[in-house]
Amino acid sequence: MTVSEIAKKLNLAYYAGENLSGKNAKGCYIGDLLSLAMSRVMADNVWITIQTNINVVAVASLAEASCVIVADGCVPDDTTIEKAKEQGIILLGGEISAFDAAVALSEMGI
Amino acid sequence: MREISLHILDIVQNSVVAKATEIEVDICEDKKLDKLTVVIRDNGCGMSEEFLKKVIDPFATKRTTRKVGLGIPLLKMAAENTGGSLEIQSKEGEGTVVTAVFGLSHIDRQPLGDMAGTMLGLFTAYEDIRFLYKHKVNEKEFFVDTKEIRNVLGDVPFQAPEVYLWLSDFLKEGEEELNQMEV
Repeated sequence: MTVSEIAKKLNLAYYAGENLSGKNAKGCYIGDLLSLAMSRVMADNVWITIQTNINVVAVASLAEASCVIVADGCVPDDTTIEKAKEQGIILLGGEISAFDAAVALSEMGI
Repeated sequence: MREISLHILDIVQNSVVAKATEIEVDICEDKKLDKLTVVIRDNGCGMSEEFLKKVIDPFATKRTTRKVGLGIPLLKMAAENTGGSLEIQSKEGEGTVVTAVFGLSHIDRQPLGDMAGTMLGLFTAYEDIRFLYKHKVNEKEFFVDTKEIRNVLGDVPFQAPEVYLWLSDFLKEGEEELNQMEV
């Protein structure tokens, strides 16, 4: 499953990393406590969160997440978006809730 | 980090890495001001002005094993999530002061956590460092200076079983007394 297919299916917008959307994704973690996400997001995971600050990019980079979905209509800060572009992190977002996103991802077989 | 004590442990580790010989941990819970203030002060190597500016950026770390350092950024986030703030003062060769202010009654404020266990761990892991620990809850205060304990003990290490157990009880009792309901 590629990030591009996920973005299309879940109707998500790209804040950063659209050029990298061919990347594969496998597995998913949902959580907003960054210190916990640091140890729980596995390589190539989709990470769903409502956090929007620059630390999200740091955790995604550290955990080698495939992409980050910012749920519930939350919008990342400009510095977060800039840093994501710089670090090659795919940052997606939309009105979808974490639950609905997870259900859709599960149906897609992620 | 789910408890503020874990943040404190993390920041104190920075002081240890900065080769501090004296570390002050000062916690003040003030109901009237509705603030919980944590101050960690050390006499370690300090940071250059240039690095100090970057320290809240998670991509600025002195660590060489990976490119991301999240200790300070996560503490800043935890404080700001409760309407508080984080401030760092540092001078090269003199030391660093980290001050985190939390909204005491804010719903997103994490619990303080196990301070007795945290300080016990630090006292016994770094016996050569002098720790000054102060915890204030409104009018009540609990204060420990490891130098005073060291003076009494002489060469007996904190890790000696009897000392360790005494220290553990002493810290637990001190913390418990602070949290007893005021009449």
